[in-house]
Amino acid sequence: MLNPAFKPQNIPAQAMLRIIRGWVSVSLSLGVALLGLVVSQSANAVPSFARQTGQSCVACHAGGQYPELTPYGRLFKLTGYTIGGRGNPLSAMLVASQTRTQNNNDGAGGVHSTLDGQSIIDFGSVFLAGKVTDNIGGFAQFTYSQYDRQNANQTWNGHWGSDNFDLRYADRKVNDKNDLIWGVTLHNNPTVQDVWNSTPAWGYPYVSTTQGAFGRLPASTLIEGALAQHVAGVGGYVYWNKAIYAELTSYQTAKGPWAFLSMGNQPGNPDHPLTHLNGNALYWRLAYTKEWDAHNIMVGAFGMDTKVLPLDATNYPINGLGSTRYQDIGFDAQYQYLLTPHTVMAQVRVVQEKINDETGTYAGSATLNTNKIKASYVYRAKYGASLAYTSVTGSSDAGVYGTTGGLGSNLNIPDTEMWTPELFWLPMQNLRVGVQFNYFTKYLGASTNYDGAGRNASDNNTTYLYLWTSF
Amino acid sequence: MKTIRFNQRLSGLGLSIFILSACSNIDSSRNVNNASVSGRTLAVQVCSTCHGVTGDSTSPNFPKLAGQKKEYLIAQLDDFKGHARSDAKGQEHMWGFTHLTTGQIAELADYFSAQEPMRGKNRPSGALARGETIYRNGLPDLGVAQCSACHGASGEGNASFPRLAGQHANYLIQQIEIFQETEQRPRGGVMKEVTHGLTRTDSEAVAQYLESIGVIK
Repeated sequence: MLNPAFKPQNIPAQAMLRIIRGWVSVSLSLGVALLGLVVSQSANAVPSFARQTGQSCVACHAGGQYPELTPYGRLFKLTGYTIGGRGNPLSAMLVASQTRTQNNNDGAGGVHSTLDGQSIIDFGSVFLAGKVTDNIGGFAQFTYSQYDRQNANQTWNGHWGSDNFDLRYADRKVNDKNDLIWGVTLHNNPTVQDVWNSTPAWGYPYVSTTQGAFGRLPASTLIEGALAQHVAGVGGYVYWNKAIYAELTSYQTAKGPWAFLSMGNQPGNPDHPLTHLNGNALYWRLAYTKEWDAHNIMVGAFGMDTKVLPLDATNYPINGLGSTRYQDIGFDAQYQYLLTPHTVMAQVRVVQEKINDETGTYAGSATLNTNKIKASYVYRAKYGASLAYTSVTGSSDAGVYGTTGGLGSNLNIPDTEMWTPELFWLPMQNLRVGVQFNYFTKYLGASTNYDGAGRNASDNNTTYLYLWTSF
Repeated sequence: MKTIRFNQRLSGLGLSIFILSACSNIDSSRNVNNASVSGRTLAVQVCSTCHGVTGDSTSPNFPKLAGQKKEYLIAQLDDFKGHARSDAKGQEHMWGFTHLTTGQIAELADYFSAQEPMRGKNRPSGALARGETIYRNGLPDLGVAQCSACHGASGEGNASFPRLAGQHANYLIQQIEIFQETEQRPRGGVMKEVTHGLTRTDSEAVAQYLESIGVIK
């Protein structure tokens, strides 16, 4: 699967490239520019929850590093955001940043990242979040990206859209022998309902460049963000004795009455077309958790079986020409050590994807595998550091990954390795300042000359300075 | 036709939310601002999230409450409610409980004080001798009073003097530091005087001893 930035919009379009000959091909340079323009990195700290509970951010967020959840934060979410009293549900956040690409020259007289080196107010969100009744609570985020796309006059246009959404009904039956939390959830992104930060929706990085062309892997599996704000999921879950978590969710295209979940992505929208599923997609999740002393762990697995329809030249779905089926299975684990003044957190995730395509997007059956491992340390919920390693490998496909009409791999493979160290500082609990680096040791199959035109993986190294506040 | 289906779905969603709302049960409410919710319900639905259902918390970030003295629990909840207790952990986690009624506070204290007393952690006895000496005899040369005079011979506590036996050592060490260095727990002012001569090493020794003398897991 292609990078999340490309997926909802471009995978069906690429199918059409093969179906309707002569459609305008998407160049690598335009593609990577779009990557920066269309992704709105989700990140959350929600002061309305703090007002609701009367508690500080660190009660729910490990080391204050939102959105990473503490055991208490996880139970707060699993019990439907209902701890505390109902209050003002409105909150907002703002992210300002500067991105620098090591070699921003695209080799054709242009640049990869238009706003490279410029300090910008990147995007902002408003939240409606909090308790509704004793059993119902929710979290709805709407995000405005100021630099969404450029028009013919090179003027930037902004974009409003739905972001993370999770509405739940939950209850808890608890005594000294049994503790059963159960609930149902309506949400718009597979794993946004999850409470561990090893799954994609709330996984690291918690904020990342939206303007840099190389802010992330060039390809990742479908479940790792491609369906965010394109689907409506209704699921049920149980969490028993703080040990076993199980969930089943069914997803469908977020259209009709569910369109509010995909606001900003519409059928026919050339910049933000809605991804259409062929039928329903089933997601499952199992996890085992344990707490001892100041430690807690989770070991789990998840999976999803999804069929995606191709889009036509006008970005409407095509029925009757088959679909692309993505079968994703993930294994993940998380460890936390939380004892004032120290916070240690680590997550690992492996996702294996099988792709069976009827639309011509891929040359044949394909595979894609991603790996992510990350560790963080935060001192006194003020000074923090993280280090992550992310990689992707996959089967060869000239049409998807190659230099003509693909991502630009001279070897026609997605294989990429990226190291991400980060330093951050929280001068106050609702303000984070950080610097994050992406170091590529391999990009699209090679360390050097990966595109056959002399570009090296290290040319894509990216430095991202950010200021992230919520109120 | 589409409009009809759309309206039907919306109606269905609205009806579902209404029905689910009607299923709300005050016996499983997590609303800490509702005076109608019993202290016991708040204990198992809210407090248990950090302190454990029986008050035998797992994480040393959160004190064990099982078998704690009722008078002490009432005093602390009053202090959190009125923001008189202002240590960092207390502020971060407990300052939201401003609407608890006197009755709810009493019920919460009843619930946790009635639990089987908190259980400690076994440690090699040789490492505990210094802590036991301090607990039982104090350090007269340094002005450290014997802890057992107020907290009981077995650390069982006495009225507003809390039970210490079986408590997390890390929590006890943090509280000693707070008493020594701040005014954030004004009700424990006497502790400032009796612990000011206690070194970090001795604080750890007495805390580890106290953690070990609860009922062993």
